[in-house]
This record gives sequence, structure tokens and C-alpha cells, in this order.
Amino acid sequence: MQDVYRYRDLVRALVARELKVRYRRSAIGFLWTMLQPLLTMLVLQLVFSQIFAVRLTYGNYPIFALAGILFWNFFSQSIVASMNSLRGNAQLLQKLPVPKAVFPLATVISGVVNLVFALVPLLAILLITGHPIRPALLFLPISIFLVALFTLGAGLLLSPMAVFFSDVVELIGVLLMLLMYLTPVIYPIEIVPERIRWVVRYNPIRSILEVFRDPIYQGEVPPLPHLAVCVAIAALAFALGAWVFRKSSDRIPFYV
Amino acid sequence: MPETAGNVRIRLDNVSLCYRLAKQRIPSIKEYAIHWMKGALAYEKLWALRDVDLTVREGETVGIVGRNGAGKSTLLKVISRVLKPSKGTIEVRGMVSPILELGTGFDHELTGLENIYLNALLLGRTRREIQEKLEEIVDFSGLGDFIRSPIRNYSSGMLARLGFSVATAWLPEILILDEILTVGDAAFTEKCEAKMRTFHDAGITILVVSHSEKVVRDTCTRCVWLDAGRLRADGETGEVLDLYLHGGHEPSERAAGRLPQTS
Repeated sequence: MQDVYRYRDLVRALVARELKVRYRRSAIGFLWTMLQPLLTMLVLQLVFSQIFAVRLTYGNYPIFALAGILFWNFFSQSIVASMNSLRGNAQLLQKLPVPKAVFPLATVISGVVNLVFALVPLLAILLITGHPIRPALLFLPISIFLVALFTLGAGLLLSPMAVFFSDVVELIGVLLMLLMYLTPVIYPIEIVPERIRWVVRYNPIRSILEVFRDPIYQGEVPPLPHLAVCVAIAALAFALGAWVFRKSSDRIPFYV
Repeated sequence: MPETAGNVRIRLDNVSLCYRLAKQRIPSIKEYAIHWMKGALAYEKLWALRDVDLTVREGETVGIVGRNGAGKSTLLKVISRVLKPSKGTIEVRGMVSPILELGTGFDHELTGLENIYLNALLLGRTRREIQEKLEEIVDFSGLGDFIRSPIRNYSSGMLARLGFSVATAWLPEILILDEILTVGDAAFTEKCEAKMRTFHDAGITILVVSHSEKVVRDTCTRCVWLDAGRLRADGETGEVLDLYLHGGHEPSERAAGRLPQTS
């Protein structure tokens, strides 16, 4: 870990490069970061209100869905990108004594930057739809920190496996889809049949999601017990990921 | 050899390194599971280094020779802590600065200037350290205005200049040069050799891998010959080179024994 600290300027440069590549590719690359979740939100609004005709007792569904999508995009994209980051830098890993964790770390950090950009249209929608703007929004930096810590843990846990086995990335892609449906990202937990609701309720990703969504959607700071659980989940995920990554890191250059 | 422990920079004790080559390149989980159930997880074991003992002291410039696949680059990677040996112990005292091959750690879309940053950051420098040395690096590279254009337009000689300039901007305790001194033009090679002499005089330990006999003869005070992962000879440059160039042509173990046919 001190190693990673020594290379902090490298992490910064990698983040800058990743963002530059992302936003240079197309003139509206920057806009896409904001537009894509908005369009997804519109699609979901249509599907849920017209096709499934779910009675959303749920005040402002677009805000609910948009906040969920922003979280999920960050989480799933960061995991997949972390997994690809070691492979993508295979040449370096085989030749330079760089601490390997800088690559997944830089990936997650650039994901956070994208997430923050994407909050701009979210705020716009809040204003347009007349959703109450509450001071709880100021809690978001802490929420984002917990979300990022959790995601980094998952990324560190999974990225070495992508090096050792070629098909893990595809497998994780499918698993992430399953996980998304097991997490109340786009639907309210109330529509889940009572007898299987516990699956969704005890899904740790739900807790992390809500710590991010509550300040936006409910306009409330998460209650202390929930917050404590989230801190524990995020810390545990990070500790586990860091431990596994460290254990396998000597073997990485042999397999990339 | 006198054991003055204070100035030992690198000590390899019985170091062996094994690459486990999966029969199928990077197995998938599915294949892994199938093979695991059959109990037939087969790996090709390739010992790239075998029982290597090597002690290098402060101020030595050591050439490493051997045919392709003899383990030269693997040895350098073990010393620069990229690869961890499978057996044996290694002790390295001091900062290692590796310059490995052309363009490693370069991004071809970035300019020379941006690549100086990137490359130095990859070598573990901070932004501030780089800023302090930037001018010196640019000057030494002799790339002039080219420094502001993307390096995809560079020739291999220019890339080598850039890489060498970055890696030698800071005085490391140990400098590793893998096949780099032969690609620049005569003027630059001369500049590099002059810089290496200053390094040598400053007591820096230098390891050189080169297929050019001349480079090794001119720069190294000592030479080791690796053959199929084993240290075949270690001593005065001239003697080892003669041995290598004139006595080393029987087929090596690895060339003959690699990748045996399996049924």
C-alpha cells in the first residue's frame, strides 16, 4: 500500500489519460456520459408505466430510476474495466516493477469522476420535475466514497481472476446482469413477492445503493444503523479485495 | 572474492524461476473445471533460471550474454523485482532503474514530452521530481522540436534516446540496460557511453544485456554467460566472451528439450 502511495502521481496521470481518451473520441463524448443515463431513464419510465403498468405509488419514478442507473453504471462498468485494466497493461506488468493495484485503482477513480459529471443532469432533472432539493444532497460525497470503496474492493477481488482465466470477464458480465435484477435498481423493493423479498433485502449491494440513492430520492441522510452497516460492508469488501489482490499479485506477471 | 558485505548490491542465492505454461494458452474457467475434474491439469514447466548464484558489487558493470531464450531477460526481471523467483533468495540493495526494450511504457499517441512524464511516473518518480529534471532530460535526448510531436512518428533510434534519457536522469544505485545501446546513432551511442562512464565512476552498478560483442567488450568490467538458465561462466569480460563465442555451440538443453511432444 505504501508502494501505491509512492506511485500516486502515476495514478493521477492514468486517470487523466483514461478520461481524455473517453472524452476525446467524440465531440459529444462528454455529453454522452450525461445523456446515456437520461435516455435509459426515459425508456424505463415508458416500460414501467405503460407496458408493465406497475402502479408506482412511488412519487417520482424517473428520479428513483436515474439515481439507481447512475449507481449501477458506475459499479458494473468499474468492475469490468478493472478486470480489463490488468490485461490491457500486460506489457508494462511484465517489464516494470509497478505496483499492480494502480491500474484497477485508476479505473475506479476515473469512474468516480464520470459519476460526478453525471450528477449534473440528475440535478437538472430534480429541478425540472420540482423534486424538493434538500440539504441531504450534501451527504452525497460520503455516499460516493462508500460506493467507490465497495466497488474498488470488488474490482481488486475480480481483476486478478481475469488474468488467470480468459472467460471470467464474460461470466462476470452475466452475473452482473443477474445481480442487477436482484438489486432494486430500477424497481421498488415492494413489487418483489413477499416470500423471496429477503434475497433482495439482504443483498449487500442494495445497502450500498441506498446509501447513494436515499439522499437524492428521499432527500434524507441514511439512518445511522443503515449507515453503520454500509460502512462495514464497504470496508469488508475493500479489505477482502485488497487481501486477495495482494496474495495473487506475484503471480500476475506470469499470466498476463 | 573478498566478502566486504557493505558494498554488495545484488545477491542471488540459488535462484530458480519456472514459467508454468498451460498447455492451452490461458485456460478458461470451463476448461479448468473440466480438466480439474479429470485430474488432468497439465502444465509445461519451463525453468528459465536454474540455481543461479550471482553477487554483484557497487561499481561493477556486468555484461550478460547468452543465446536467445537463455534467461537473460528473465534474470533482469528478477533483479528489477518484476518477477518473483520460484526458488532461492534474492537481495537487492538500492533503487533499480530498468530501461527495458524500446518503447516499453510509452504511449504512442502522446508527445515525447508527455511520454517523459508517463515513463518516469512508471519508474516511480513523482511529478515534482520530473519537473525538476525535465529540461535536462529533453536536452540529453537531443530530440529538439520533435519532443512536441507524438512519438508514433519517432524512429526506433529516437525512442531509444528518449528512454535512455528518462531512465538515466536520476542516479539509481543499479541501472539495467536491456538491448538498448545499439539502436541509437554513433553520436548518441557515444553520449550514452560517456554517461555510463560517469555512472561507473560514481559507483553505480550497471547490468547490460546485449548481443553486440563490441558493446559488452567496451563497457563491461565483468561478464556472465547464461546458457539454458544456468550460469555457465562468470569472470573477466574478455575470457567469458571468448568462451561464449567459441565454445558455446553445442545444442543447449533448452533448445533440444523444450516443448516435448505429448500424446
